Amino acid sequence: MLIRRSLGMPFWKPAPVIVAAVAAAALAVPAVFLGRRRFLSLGAVRGAIGGLCGMAGGMGAAMLVRWLMGMHAWGADAVLTAGIFTGVIAYLAALGFFGSWIRWARGVEDGGGERKPKKGWMRYLDVDTGHKVIGVQYFFAGLCFLPFGVSLQLIARTHMSDPHLGILSSMAYESVISDHGIIMMFLVALPFFTGLMNYLVPLQIGARDMAFPRLNAFSFWLVPPAGLLAACSLLAGGFDTGWTAYPPLSVSFENPGMNFILIGVYLAGLSSILTAVNVLTTVFKMRAPGLSFFRMPIFIWSSLATVGLTLLFTQFIGMAFLMVLFERLFGLAFFDPGKGGQVLLYQFLFWFYSHPAVYVFVLIGLGIISDVIPVFTRKPLFGYKGVAVSSPAIAFGGTVVFAHHMFAAGMPGWLRVPFMVTTLLVAVPTGVKVFAWVATTWMGKMRLQTPLLFVLSGIVLFLIGGLTGIPLGIVPVDLYLHATYWVVGHFHAMFFGGFLLPAMAAIFYWFPKVTGRMLDERLGKIQWLLMTVGMFLLAMPMLALGLEGMRRRIGHYDFTMHWQQLHIVTAVGGFTIFAGLVLLGINLVRSFRRGPAAGPNPWGARTLEWMVSSPPPEHNFEEIPEVFDRPHMHGVVGSVHARLSASDARNSERKRDESDDR
Amino acid sequence: MRATTAEAVEAPARAQASPVRMGITFFLMSESFLFGSLFWTYYYLRALTPGWPPHHPAMSLAAINTAFLFAGSCAVWAGVRSIRNGKERGLRTALLIAALLGAAFLGITLWEWFHEDFTPSTDAYGSIFFTLTGFHALHVLGGVLLMLALLGRTMRHRFSAGDFAAVEAGSMYWHFVDVIWILVFATIFIAR
Repeated sequence: MLIRRSLGMPFWKPAPVIVAAVAAAALAVPAVFLGRRRFLSLGAVRGAIGGLCGMAGGMGAAMLVRWLMGMHAWGADAVLTAGIFTGVIAYLAALGFFGSWIRWARGVEDGGGERKPKKGWMRYLDVDTGHKVIGVQYFFAGLCFLPFGVSLQLIARTHMSDPHLGILSSMAYESVISDHGIIMMFLVALPFFTGLMNYLVPLQIGARDMAFPRLNAFSFWLVPPAGLLAACSLLAGGFDTGWTAYPPLSVSFENPGMNFILIGVYLAGLSSILTAVNVLTTVFKMRAPGLSFFRMPIFIWSSLATVGLTLLFTQFIGMAFLMVLFERLFGLAFFDPGKGGQVLLYQFLFWFYSHPAVYVFVLIGLGIISDVIPVFTRKPLFGYKGVAVSSPAIAFGGTVVFAHHMFAAGMPGWLRVPFMVTTLLVAVPTGVKVFAWVATTWMGKMRLQTPLLFVLSGIVLFLIGGLTGIPLGIVPVDLYLHATYWVVGHFHAMFFGGFLLPAMAAIFYWFPKVTGRMLDERLGKIQWLLMTVGMFLLAMPMLALGLEGMRRRIGHYDFTMHWQQLHIVTAVGGFTIFAGLVLLGINLVRSFRRGPAAGPNPWGARTLEWMVSSPPPEHNFEEIPEVFDRPHMHGVVGSVHARLSASDARNSERKRDESDDR
Repeated sequence: MRATTAEAVEAPARAQASPVRMGITFFLMSESFLFGSLFWTYYYLRALTPGWPPHHPAMSLAAINTAFLFAGSCAVWAGVRSIRNGKERGLRTALLIAALLGAAFLGITLWEWFHEDFTPSTDAYGSIFFTLTGFHALHVLGGVLLMLALLGRTMRHRFSAGDFAAVEAGSMYWHFVDVIWILVFATIFIAR
């Protein structure tokens, strides 16, 4: 234990300096640029200052209390946690959320609390209730953490190419891969999809905004502190438990890095629960006339399935993480066998959320695939109803399979077979989707533009991911493969196919709608090639390593096993993907500034968001449109998904003429 | 401040379309899973620990607490009824009573906590006992604050027969907290 702690220490000493320097730089540049008053009027700035002051105050108070109680004033665990707690409260207060609630309670102003939105890019750094602004904010939050999460993994992969160089200590290696997992899931995938839902759900169902716009803003502003906490946990000393944070390791190891993660993930979870309330209410209450459930785009179906899962099951990971936090801080004994606790209890609670969570991340990606394929093959989606219903079916199936993560953990033997059966059953609705996609492309008139390319390679990787998951669901095989690189390879194939590639397709597909400009196709195709190749290079050697018995989460291996080549290939794959992401960054910046004008509907799509101008007007629709049929009826004579009111149609038309002039 | 006649005519339609009721329903579904995780923990530990429960917290005060919460629920129910008929005064009294009963509940709970013969860190039973009752008490605290906020708005005549979605949401929350308490009570004192 002592050795591991001392190995963790090198992170710690320069950490405050690094944090202070980055924070100062991040604040100083816009401060000089904007002038003091406009600078301080920005929500992000007020929040940052409020949060830092609150954190300092809370830490001071905690140290004072400890000192008065006759303890050591500095105890990293308790003092930092108190500081984080007060910091988050002060941050939210500085953003003005509590103020608006108090004003509501006093009856001073009626609900709305609308301030005049700021102009241009400053709007995106302020508290804004418009669903499109919040959608873009989420997207950028995800985009900020993406390079961080990816570079963590690049460091780890470089280390594994030759562990004997000792690039990372074992504590550092374990921290880096654990934080990579947390960041990529809770701060890249989750914000990205939440942002997409925020942007698209009201537009696609013909509403002007979400049901609860202020709650929506509140959920977004919980994400930045969550992300900062997850990132800072490395500076505070890291955590070597893997992203799962199993006790007793997560409890007994006294390192403040763990607390950062527990609180950060809790905040991200709270944000996603509130978003779920919002999205569900919006879809159930605010659909345009005529938009029955079986006329909704598949994206809406998969959003419903996703938020249904987050609404209910996020509470479980929240509570499991809080229990670990309580155990660390106050010596509670849920998981402490010495005091009558049960270690396995944590795994039940954790996986009861975290297995559905996998579907949370993947379902939206599947929805994107289902909506993009018909547009680019110019055919109706094959088996619309089956595809639509398979999303809730996967969601439901995903909730009753959770214990398959614990086949090797020593849970009661009679639980194994039922969970094996349910696990294999989830393949059925997933198979329905894959079958429907392939059948849609059959005899279609494919246009191999970037979104379709990403979707196609996404389907292939998703299929590989799914097939490599089946052995893991079968108990006897899992007992051998559990906690090997096979799991890592399966998971990454699943995530690339179900999340990352569809997300790239979504970026290329909806970027014209959000900005009014097209992304560069040629750069996009190079990026697609790099990322597809990179993902195969990354995931396939992992599967091979797993079969040979390489354990996951261990930062070294025996050279006599001849695993080095496979590790090097994996690292090359990682860097190839990274190169693709760099191209995406270049493409986004370049096209945002001078991409060709898109017009309202560059892809010939039929859903409602493509009927309004790009970017859509402030309140989407002047009058609520009317819906007549399913969205994907390409080539079916006489089928119309929806019609805008006359004035909205005129607006969209006028905007298109303007963009043609440009 | 009062709604004009034209608004009053329009108002019922608006209240019906208000998404607040549905929003709070979804929120409470989520909250029930929060307590679900705690009950899961309790019964999991109970099933695997011989000699459960290791401590026997006193039941009498908790029974009084149950009566308090139940009375609060009745008051809130009466309050919603009166505002539906446009009676602000009835709502005001009901909210005040509910808030006071909630505060009394919190007081008694706190007193009990300090008089138990075990602490949260004594053993797993202590941990789940205090976490379960603690999270419930936090929800009662939230309920009291919510009642006070609604009271503040009632004082400013913000609710009327046609516009009381927030009161309804508050009442649903309060009933939810009440139901959870009955489950907590049954778990800790009856099923043990």
